[in-house]
Amino acid sequence: MNLAHIHLLVNHFPTIGTIIALGLFLVALVSNSVDLKRASLVVFFIISLITIPTYMSGNAAEEMLRGRQGVSTTAIEAHRNAAQLAVLFMELTGVVSWLGLWRFRRHSNFGRATLPAVLLLSVITMGVVGYAANLGGGIRHPEIEGSGIVAAKRTPATAQQKPAAAKELEPGGIGDYVTGEKWMWPTCETLHFVGLSLLMGVVLLIDMRMLGVVKNVSFAALHRLLPWAVLGFGINVMTGMLFFAGRSAQYTTNSVFQWKMALVILAGVNALYFTMLDETWTLKAGDDAPVMAKVMASSALFLWIAILYCGSMLPFLGGSF
Amino acid sequence: MDFLNTIEHNPFSQWVTNSPSVWAFPMFLFLHTTGMSIVAGGSAIIDLVLLGMWPKQPIKPLERLYPAIWVGFWINAITGTVLLCADATAKLGSLDFYLKMGFVFAGVYVLHTMRKTVFADPLLDQGPVSRNAKLWAWASLICWFGAITAGRLLAYVGPVKGAPGANT
Repeated sequence: MNLAHIHLLVNHFPTIGTIIALGLFLVALVSNSVDLKRASLVVFFIISLITIPTYMSGNAAEEMLRGRQGVSTTAIEAHRNAAQLAVLFMELTGVVSWLGLWRFRRHSNFGRATLPAVLLLSVITMGVVGYAANLGGGIRHPEIEGSGIVAAKRTPATAQQKPAAAKELEPGGIGDYVTGEKWMWPTCETLHFVGLSLLMGVVLLIDMRMLGVVKNVSFAALHRLLPWAVLGFGINVMTGMLFFAGRSAQYTTNSVFQWKMALVILAGVNALYFTMLDETWTLKAGDDAPVMAKVMASSALFLWIAILYCGSMLPFLGGSF
Repeated sequence: MDFLNTIEHNPFSQWVTNSPSVWAFPMFLFLHTTGMSIVAGGSAIIDLVLLGMWPKQPIKPLERLYPAIWVGFWINAITGTVLLCADATAKLGSLDFYLKMGFVFAGVYVLHTMRKTVFADPLLDQGPVSRNAKLWAWASLICWFGAITAGRLLAYVGPVKGAPGANT
């Protein structure tokens, strides 16, 4: 199995998932069900996590498809550019959904702006994701080819063309900007490290609280710091996407990067435990944390150090750069 | 320069630089990044709390973060020394390196001073955070942001042996 297979496996999640989550969200709004609202926000958040490997595996599929007989380069590029926009809106929807869950845990309400913002963003996301998916379907489905982009530049049918070598690919779109501007890559790297530090600071403190080192703090107090961790995570997702858009080939051929992405999804799901569940929320200053909280806190620290390890090893174990 | 060349070419530095083992340069770099995230991250949390991101909560318990921050610092002091020895002529010839070290030493001084003044203050948690404490917090944020920025730029400015994106 390669990343192109993975793209085929997961590429329907953002489209179908957004439709399901939006449907659930609309039912929740109409029925004014708090549980359904929380459930739909969780689904939006998880879909936003799954969208990350969907986008990244798509670049691997692009490398394998480019130059093949009967495959339109223009259609691939149109799909990729639409996907970049779709990822942006999907991640925004995920972050605002997470904020809704976080706020509900603190105040037992979602706030005035959160739910309308999720509704607006998810509707836009559904449109953009649907458009990207439609363009993606056109790459290898000539039977649905209509007019314009998909039909525009179908590669002439020559016998058994080889896929272009990864290093020969042009990044295109925002990727050109990332690699074309000399200051862009170092700036993104610096922000990536700032985001990592923010995230690690919060994870470290929560871990120390759960393991009893910083016991004289209630979890409700620590909960207030979680948005800083999510801000760090968001900075890293966005800068990571920019690295990827600039030099996708060096990542898609790197198995360490694939591990890193899998671990990021697990760490995202781990964050939900501390964001919304009762088990930790009720911990007062001086209370001993339950075993599950200790396990989840330790696994969060382990996951983030493993992610950091994979990131550091990209040039050495996987041959990036 | 001869001295720096001697450091750079001693057997250990050569092993760090040239060994294909993951335990050589890659592991020191990973540990250095981990230490950085603990020091900068732990400090940032203390700073943000002092700047009012944690209202109506006791701040004193956060002093327990200090041992973890010092562990991160010593990891970085050791791994940083090893990485410096492996690339002594380039690093010590770079103005950016001295800028980074300036931020690091200033950051450590600020952290130490914050513990001696802010956390040792018996009136901490008895009222609003003092103006001085907030100034220290801003100074700390600036120092660690500066250290991270100057550290990353080491791959791009001054005598550089090559870095991703640097030649694009």
